[in-house]
Amino acid sequence: MSQTDGTGMSTFEYHVLLALATGPLHGYAIKDAVTDESNGTLTPRAGSMYRVIARLMTSGLVIETKGSDDPHPGLARKYYALTARGRTALAAEARRQKNAAAVAERRLGIARGRS
Amino acid sequence: MSRVFVTLIRSFPTAFRERFGDEMLEQIEHDHQRAQRRGALASLAFSLATIADLARTSVAERIRPTWTQSQHRDTRMSTMTEWARDLRQAARSLKRTPGFAIVAVGTLGLAIGVNAGMFSVVDTVLLKPLPFANVDRLVNISATAPGSGFPDEFGVAAEFFVQYKEQSKLLEDVSVYNSFTSTLRVGDRVERVRMSAPTNSLYSTLGAKPILGRLPVASDEDHAVVISYKLWQQWFARDPNVVGKVYNVASANRTIIGVMGPEFQMPLDGTLLWMSNEIKPQGISPGRFGANLVGRVKPGVTNEQLATELTALSKKLPDRFGGSANYRKLIAQHHAVVRSLTDQVVGSVKAPLGVLLAAVGVVLLIACANVANLFMVRGEARQRDLAVRLAIGAARGQLIQSQMAEAVVVAGGAGALAMIFATLTLPVFLRFAPRNVPRIADTSMNATTLLFTLAAAILSALICGLLPAIRASRPDLNRLRDGGRGATRTRNFARDGLVVGQTALALVLLIGSALLVRSFWSLRHVNPGYSTENLFTFQIAPEGPALRNGLDYARFDLAFLEKLAAIPSVESVGVVENIPLNEGTAANSFRTEDAPKEADGGKRLNYTYTAGNYFKTMSIALLRGRAFTSDDHLNAQQNVILSRNAADLMWPGKDPIGRRIQRAGDSLWFTVVGVVDDVMQDDFRHKPNPLVYFPLVGPTPSSWVIDSPAYVIRTRRAESIAPEVRALVRQVAPSAPMYRVFTMAGLAKDSMVQLSFTMLTLGIVSALALVLGAVGLYGVLSYIVAMRTREIGVRMALGAEASAVRRMVVAQGARVVAIGIVIGVLGALGSTKALSSLLYDVQAADATTFAGMSMSMVLIGFIASYLPARRASKVDPVESLRGD
Repeated sequence: MSQTDGTGMSTFEYHVLLALATGPLHGYAIKDAVTDESNGTLTPRAGSMYRVIARLMTSGLVIETKGSDDPHPGLARKYYALTARGRTALAAEARRQKNAAAVAERRLGIARGRS
Repeated sequence: MSRVFVTLIRSFPTAFRERFGDEMLEQIEHDHQRAQRRGALASLAFSLATIADLARTSVAERIRPTWTQSQHRDTRMSTMTEWARDLRQAARSLKRTPGFAIVAVGTLGLAIGVNAGMFSVVDTVLLKPLPFANVDRLVNISATAPGSGFPDEFGVAAEFFVQYKEQSKLLEDVSVYNSFTSTLRVGDRVERVRMSAPTNSLYSTLGAKPILGRLPVASDEDHAVVISYKLWQQWFARDPNVVGKVYNVASANRTIIGVMGPEFQMPLDGTLLWMSNEIKPQGISPGRFGANLVGRVKPGVTNEQLATELTALSKKLPDRFGGSANYRKLIAQHHAVVRSLTDQVVGSVKAPLGVLLAAVGVVLLIACANVANLFMVRGEARQRDLAVRLAIGAARGQLIQSQMAEAVVVAGGAGALAMIFATLTLPVFLRFAPRNVPRIADTSMNATTLLFTLAAAILSALICGLLPAIRASRPDLNRLRDGGRGATRTRNFARDGLVVGQTALALVLLIGSALLVRSFWSLRHVNPGYSTENLFTFQIAPEGPALRNGLDYARFDLAFLEKLAAIPSVESVGVVENIPLNEGTAANSFRTEDAPKEADGGKRLNYTYTAGNYFKTMSIALLRGRAFTSDDHLNAQQNVILSRNAADLMWPGKDPIGRRIQRAGDSLWFTVVGVVDDVMQDDFRHKPNPLVYFPLVGPTPSSWVIDSPAYVIRTRRAESIAPEVRALVRQVAPSAPMYRVFTMAGLAKDSMVQLSFTMLTLGIVSALALVLGAVGLYGVLSYIVAMRTREIGVRMALGAEASAVRRMVVAQGARVVAIGIVIGVLGALGSTKALSSLLYDVQAADATTFAGMSMSMVLIGFIASYLPARRASKVDPVESLRGD
């Protein structure tokens, strides 16, 4: 399960976990959050998105949970939430991205002005 | 367009689609609407992109699935999911047979429910530790003196306390406690309340601390009072400033110095306050027995060790404190009696509660047997199905598990029903429970009860399910060959065994409750020596400057009696110091003029004081001589009246009238002027005590003071006269509280309540057991008849008479019942001894009761067998064979 250790996580998975870091959300809210937080680089389509959710659930990073009881039209909504493992994986991935960015910055000389 | 989306979603693997399909479609439709609002082009672009996405991901999901139903493959989870599947299946299959489900859940639920209720009572009364620190080291200390004429067990005297406290090496602490009713005045509120004057060591002995204020010390003498939490709450609205205030308690001004916590109770009879009290070794006149002693032993000391030590210590008492020759003799015979405080408090209700708990346990067993039988019949019907599953390779464990699942579901439902049932019926049960059972009012359903119910449900599931499941898992593979019609299986030990067990258990309960009914009947017809109908009784405690000595009180009483007699419908009135069934009488040693003055001269008699038309009012027969007149009370005549057994004891075979007796400690002689019938003072169970009646006033006005006797009124309006009496009391003694207000009929009922309550409960329980047992027998025989329809058909086709067929079926039932009865009688012989403390006038092994109840069982067995037998005899041979 390479996806779960934080190294081989796809951008899409990262953004789903990131969206859930604010609290439990239902599917459509995850979709909106991912779209917003990726600045439009990701447009999650239903099939892709639910496969990502399914994979995250199978690897134990996300679980289904009870959401708020706010009335809403349509089907009873299922809510998703981060597990403790999911939170750890998200943090590890964020750290990895930060380190990767730092390395890139050093190599490209972006931070040169400071030293 | 959405049809396309739906079709594409359908192409996902089933597991994925079932889990996410709805959400995917919802998202797509939502986005689609948004796109449509932006225009046709946007809508088209969205649709194409979505179709492409769905097509790609549905294939990807099939090649590299992200979602499978059984994702967790470790064995523990797999067992869990298998159980979950089996339980779901069991619930579905039970739903298809609601009749079976209702009967099984109802039977078990009822049985577990009565167990849960009874358990919560036993838990509260017997199992919950008394609210004291290290309660296992608290002991009750009393005395026995075989051959002394004293009761089998009696309270010790003050000098024992002093000796024990000073010299015992095994006791950490010890204290005397008591309780009595006296008057408490707080402002306008005046009531008679339960109070105690324990030694100040009570608190250290019990390990109790006040929540407010301090505990009494020797310098408080008897002027300090510690109040209970209840009193603080109900009389003082939890005012913290109550400490330091002075109130009139038991006719003296005393200061409240402390408030105890809500759990502190000693004795456990609703005592509301404790006065300070210190027993000093100086000035004790030895031999005033009757004190309750509670001690705390050092860790590891046994009751026997302590009893031995205390007995040895008591032998030195006469040398230290003096005392009469009789006292010395008594001390020589004395042994200390030590038992745990818990036993002392709840010991008397252990037996009845134990009997009831055992009885409801038996009902649960019977119910389990019934439901197990139902399951077995159900398994039988499924034999062919199971044989197929076994033949195609199912493991036996799996078969047992899937069969057990139904039992688990049934027991789960029964457990829930039981909690509801117990919660609803417990308050009703408690309302009828005897009030003298300590702590019973605290009973409630709680976490412990819930745990117990859970355990009972699990146990029932095992009992009900395991045997049928194991049998079902060994299906006869031949069933597959003969087309599943089933051969006639005449013998079935497991099933018969269950019915035998049920019959036996039901008979044990039936015999037990019959014994109690007979005891109750006998007690109801005991002649206590007085009547209990149309009698009203109450007490008042008048006070005032005019009431200084015995003579003043007697004058007050005689005048008050006249006023009472003037109330309309009152036929006669009397007064007595201790009214039967409510208060016990004191006892002392009395001697005749023929007896030697000192040692051996006395006989132990109880005594009380009376005036007015007491004997006539109570319908106590005057056998010889006369009753008291006003002259006896007011002019110091030194006359007494004896009960018949007292007269026989003092002067066997002689006329007692005119003879004289002397009470130990008195120098004066009293002349017998009358003999009355014996009365049962404490209850209807114990023989009447020999009793001496004194007049209200002694030889001098202050010889004795009877300041709060019981008044008895004979009237047809005993139930409704209280308000008029109350009005009269307010008139003659405005400040005197009126208390111990009863009808004699009510007291009589209360005195029987422990027996009648146990009897009623056991009666209901055994009726339940009987019905369940009969239903079980009926069910089994019906089933056997159904299974043997073909055989019976053949027999009848070959010319068997209908009556012969009936006989055959009934005989089969009779065999089972007969074995059950034999076992039941043996079981009852072994277990009715537990009832003996409740029985009256009937032996625990009473042959008539045993025979009668066994006959009833035979009759019920016959009825339960006859109905299926009649059905068997109506089998149409042609119909029964057509099945082939």
